[in-house]
Amino acid sequence: MSVDPTVTRHTSGGRLLFGTIAALCLAIMYAPVLYLLLASLNPDAQLGLAPPSRYSLKWYLALLTDRRLADALAESTLVGLATAAVATPIGLSAALAYRAMTRLRGLFLLVVLSAMLVPGAIAGLGLSAVLRVLGLTPSWFTVTIGHLLWTLPFAAIVSLIGLSAVKPSTIAAARDLGAGPVRAFLDITLPLIGANLVSSFIFAFLLSLSEHARAYYLVGRQNTLPLYMFGAMNSGASPTIYAFSGAVIVVSVVVVAVLFAGLARQRSEGRGVSSKAG
Amino acid sequence: MHARWPTTFLLAVPSLAVLVGLGFVPLALMATWSFWSFDPDTYWIKPVWSLASYAALLEDGRATVFLRTAGLAALTTAVSTLLAVPAATVVGLLSGPRRAALLLALFTIPFFTSGLVRAFAWRLVLGRQGVVNDALISLGIVQAPVEWLLFSDFAVVLGMVAAYLPFAIIPIVLAFARIEQSVIRASQDLGAGFWTMFSTIVLPLVMPGIVAGFLFVFVVALGTSMETQLLGGAGASSISIMINDVLRVVNFPLAFAIATAVVALLIVLITIANRAFRLSRLFESIGI
Repeated sequence: MSVDPTVTRHTSGGRLLFGTIAALCLAIMYAPVLYLLLASLNPDAQLGLAPPSRYSLKWYLALLTDRRLADALAESTLVGLATAAVATPIGLSAALAYRAMTRLRGLFLLVVLSAMLVPGAIAGLGLSAVLRVLGLTPSWFTVTIGHLLWTLPFAAIVSLIGLSAVKPSTIAAARDLGAGPVRAFLDITLPLIGANLVSSFIFAFLLSLSEHARAYYLVGRQNTLPLYMFGAMNSGASPTIYAFSGAVIVVSVVVVAVLFAGLARQRSEGRGVSSKAG
Repeated sequence: MHARWPTTFLLAVPSLAVLVGLGFVPLALMATWSFWSFDPDTYWIKPVWSLASYAALLEDGRATVFLRTAGLAALTTAVSTLLAVPAATVVGLLSGPRRAALLLALFTIPFFTSGLVRAFAWRLVLGRQGVVNDALISLGIVQAPVEWLLFSDFAVVLGMVAAYLPFAIIPIVLAFARIEQSVIRASQDLGAGFWTMFSTIVLPLVMPGIVAGFLFVFVVALGTSMETQLLGGAGASSISIMINDVLRVVNFPLAFAIATAVVALLIVLITIANRAFRLSRLFESIGI
């Protein structure tokens, strides 16, 4: 999306103002976290920045011996993998249903997306009450149920974006050549949206990994990572908190950035394939 | 893909089962149970119908918490929207395809990282010995650390704006995808300057995106408790914190009544916005 620069040359004042505001947005989104990352490299016990020559991974190494952190991370990983493994195929099936619909599409999409609009604490409270009536003991399984509801809309959107790159004419061609709907799906659609399914899985995993409000109501005896972190953050600042905050941010930013780059490439290639085939 | 309707129906079943079974049913049951009574024998609820919980919504300063939470959410939403419109314009109108994609990625990435860590990071920046106070003191602007920067409504709103900007920016960027380039070019050929073009052509066309973003930010800001708990002042409350407090004394019917009142408010807001601006059409603009 861009306007030919020759026709926007008279807009420099507005462009400058808007560009400044965009930069300000990026600054308030990223600057505090970057500062936290630098502060986490300070080997001293006191808070603040150290000169770069003294940067050290001391507090990161200290994390490796934190037993409770490891347990919380293991619990969150289990919940995240289970959530993503269920949300990805259900999201795909919702996306396929939306594409095949002729009536009630808007309503269906609104229903799927509505789960994003319920505040986490309220969704968690409601689920925990129902699960209590059903006699289900809180555990990793109940957290997974809550996270499935939270991640499903995102999984469906990522699959929808993937399907939008698959031209109906490509599928029609496969059907004309005698492929059944299942064969056409497996041979044409699935390879074209493969990268989206991987992205859908990883997005669902990351969303689950950092979800706090629902887990608060649904968790069993073993805390998930955000619940453990929240406790640590509110019980006095220890330098290891900065280190695990830094580790969480670095890992998730790198994973999402790689995914976005892959998605962008796959989307342009997908267009190329389908336009050739069409 | 023109599948017959039974296939379509079968494909829609799993997601509908999850959304209805895990989403709508619990909310509906909570709404029902909010009219039941507390049962001291089981520390749960019993089917004795009562409006006591709704009367209690207005007691013990709970109305104040509702209004404060809604007020801070509204302020967050207003600031986010004012920042998001120019930022989304840079992505959707004023950048080449590569820079637009990069900016969109930068605005989206934080969403998938821990909100807890992002809120916590503000403590380092805004605290008495934080960067902002250090800078203000060394520049001679203030003599002593500014106290209201952290553990204040200011910090809560700043934390929420930074956290929820993607919700405001992305719907507007989607709305930009629906604008015909020729319309903008025509306005410029006819001699419209940047501000005329922006206010008469661009703003009306992206309005559904602005409203969707406004709604998203308000909804998440209304429901969150993380920013208030990590950045708010002593005794600062929010609707979610109030639910937790009520549950601590196992007053389930009251917790359900608070939740039901919030959900009812959100349903009204979303319905009005969807009627007025056809928000579900936004997604058609990215070709899905």
